[in-house]
Amino acid sequence: MNVETFRYDNRIVRAFAVACVVFAIVGMLAGLLAAIQLFYPAANLNLQYTTFGRLRPLHTNAVIFAFVGNGMFMGIYYSLQRLCKARMFSDTLSWLNFWGWNAIIVSAAVTLPLGLTTSKEYAELEWPIDIAIAVVWVIFTVNLMGTILKRREKHMYVAIWFYIATALTVAVLHIVNSLEVPAGPWKSYSIYAGVQDALVQWWYGHNAVAFFLTTPYLGLMYYFLPKAADRPVFSYRLSIIHFWALIFLYIWAGPHHLLYTALPDWAQSLGMIFSIMLVAPSWGGMLNGLLTLRGAWDKVRQDPMLKFMVVAVTAYGMATLEGPTLAIKSVNSLSHYTDWTIAHVHTGALGWNGFLTFSMLYWLFPKMYRTQLYSVKLANYHFWIGVLGMMFYVVPMYFSGVTQGLMWKQFTADGFLQYPNFLETVIRLLPMHRLRAVGGGLFILGVFMMAWNLYKTAKAGNFLADEEVQVPVAEPNHGHADKKWGHRWLEAKPLTFTVLTVVAILVGGLIEIVPLYLIKENVPTIASVKPYTPLEVLGRDLYIREGCVGCHSQMIRPFRSETERYGEYSKAGEFVNDHPFLWGSKRTGPDLHRVGGKYPNAWHYNHMEKPESTSPGSIMPPYPWLLTQKLDTSSLAARIKALRSVGVPYPEGAETTAQADLEAQAKQVVLGLKTGMIDATPDREIIALIAYLQRLGIDIKASAVAQATPTP
Amino acid sequence: MIKNVLTHIGGIEAYGILSVLLFFAVFTATLIWAFRLKSAHLESMSRLPLHDGTPCPASLPSNSSQPNSRHE
Repeated sequence: MNVETFRYDNRIVRAFAVACVVFAIVGMLAGLLAAIQLFYPAANLNLQYTTFGRLRPLHTNAVIFAFVGNGMFMGIYYSLQRLCKARMFSDTLSWLNFWGWNAIIVSAAVTLPLGLTTSKEYAELEWPIDIAIAVVWVIFTVNLMGTILKRREKHMYVAIWFYIATALTVAVLHIVNSLEVPAGPWKSYSIYAGVQDALVQWWYGHNAVAFFLTTPYLGLMYYFLPKAADRPVFSYRLSIIHFWALIFLYIWAGPHHLLYTALPDWAQSLGMIFSIMLVAPSWGGMLNGLLTLRGAWDKVRQDPMLKFMVVAVTAYGMATLEGPTLAIKSVNSLSHYTDWTIAHVHTGALGWNGFLTFSMLYWLFPKMYRTQLYSVKLANYHFWIGVLGMMFYVVPMYFSGVTQGLMWKQFTADGFLQYPNFLETVIRLLPMHRLRAVGGGLFILGVFMMAWNLYKTAKAGNFLADEEVQVPVAEPNHGHADKKWGHRWLEAKPLTFTVLTVVAILVGGLIEIVPLYLIKENVPTIASVKPYTPLEVLGRDLYIREGCVGCHSQMIRPFRSETERYGEYSKAGEFVNDHPFLWGSKRTGPDLHRVGGKYPNAWHYNHMEKPESTSPGSIMPPYPWLLTQKLDTSSLAARIKALRSVGVPYPEGAETTAQADLEAQAKQVVLGLKTGMIDATPDREIIALIAYLQRLGIDIKASAVAQATPTP
Repeated sequence: MIKNVLTHIGGIEAYGILSVLLFFAVFTATLIWAFRLKSAHLESMSRLPLHDGTPCPASLPSNSSQPNSRHE
């Protein structure tokens, strides 16, 4: 048996670690600022760039892709080399991965505040950045697979399977969900519309949680937990079942984000059933993690790294029990659109991803710097302040969510809505929102303590950039001696393993999405639903730019409490021209699907200028810039052409008459404003936005719903 | 063209049942797979993360001046 000597690359791990800490602070501060705006709107600093609608995607992108993304790469680059007993496949690719990924993050931090967004949740970045993400992800995948292929260890440990699943699935999700037609350098329209867009988006959105926030971190748990506890994982057999069941099931569960919407019922039920089944593998994984500590719980008392890890795994268990609970249709009818969802995602984000990342950082810095942690006491303080912060965040959000959900549904004895004014249900929540900000603040304080602790550790230590090790190497026999098609054989066959993983993740997606795209009767057409006019198209694009979808849904569910409040429930056929769909997933403000014609133009004008003038006590930020900024019509023709190419039935030549149509409609809007004693200029942004809002949900009022297209 | 051929798929209701059966098959296969594994293999696999390789003398803190591992 030969002994080979080689070096692990720690420098790349350190680079990702530093980026992870920096973006943790940036992303969480953006979240805190957004949270404060929900009870103190003036915290937007009177700037359009820092107003809630634009800040929220910045926060979500920063914590998911910058903080967790860098944390994930940090953990993978460290553990993969050691599990493969090999240096990364290519140092050049490693650094391209690092700089490319972080350049994408910086471009997101610039474009999102500028309002350059697709509005699709967690996929907001515009098409040039989408292409860059695909390129960088391919670089990562090649580096990952290359390292696995040149490994010195015969079999692939379970953590590596999770890394493979992550790399492949994220690539598939990102590419399919980001298919869009450009209408300028920073504007595009999704090729999907309405119901189909919603399903593709939530297939992506749900599985971004699954394969970006969960599977890589499960791989990291399977590596770092045994490492810190200095004992093998509780059951390797269970980890096999955990892996295959999880990746097969997760992909089906996306439609649980669309319960009681216009999505066909069969797809909703499928999403619900598979979500409930997901409890089994998730809890299998959690128990496997916790039971690894059997007989080592004394270490948890002493080692802050293990404390963070135990809470992370527990939070994973709680979030993965709560998720399926929320996916039950009756529970979802109460929880959807409320802060309950926010509580749920933060149990996962702060507890699972946050604490697991902190745990890895506390473990890696002393290891790479060959020293002791600067202050165990400070790490313990971080732990407790983090737990407190999480509690102060999550618990008020549960109260807030349940309170608002119940208030929306409350009827008086006479059968009228108890709280017909939506604002009443918002004002009731403000104390909870204040407490949430306190929780978030505490959590960030803990991150600052950690950053200081890690900095001091690094200062005191001696960084080992290239860690030289020796491993005994058996003769190259990648699985030939193993029984063919047994799992042991598979663990030595990365390419076969990869193919099977792809099959497992594609089955669910194909069965759900393909029929919806191909079967016309799933989306009954409505004859009176017509494309938006040029002015309305630009108004809709402003609605997207300002991130209105972050607080306002456009999807009235078929409940009496909703039809009483908003009007006729939303039909799938009403959204056939909506590229992208704007159903939203949170109602901080009321649903807007039937807002068209509900108020005069002047109401909207005043409301956008100063929301409190029409809705006293409103927490909506003012949008005075819409009244002064000139509407940019330079790309109008390109936008109409792009929309036609994705299927909106504009006649040939519509782009040439678009400008004249726009000006004519703008004059009508201005006339309408005059009756409300407002003198407005027709070429301002507010005119387009009013035109769009007044169009919302009125098409079906024109005629009755047509029957589904007859089948051949 | 595919779109025209597939504008109608009969029995969409069966998709739910089909999906659950499919999962059941995959889950059963995984169980069989996992339980056919030998204990010795499971034992050696689960110990994989505990061994990063033998550090060369150069990688140890007391010998940090050795040239083979680069420190900063």
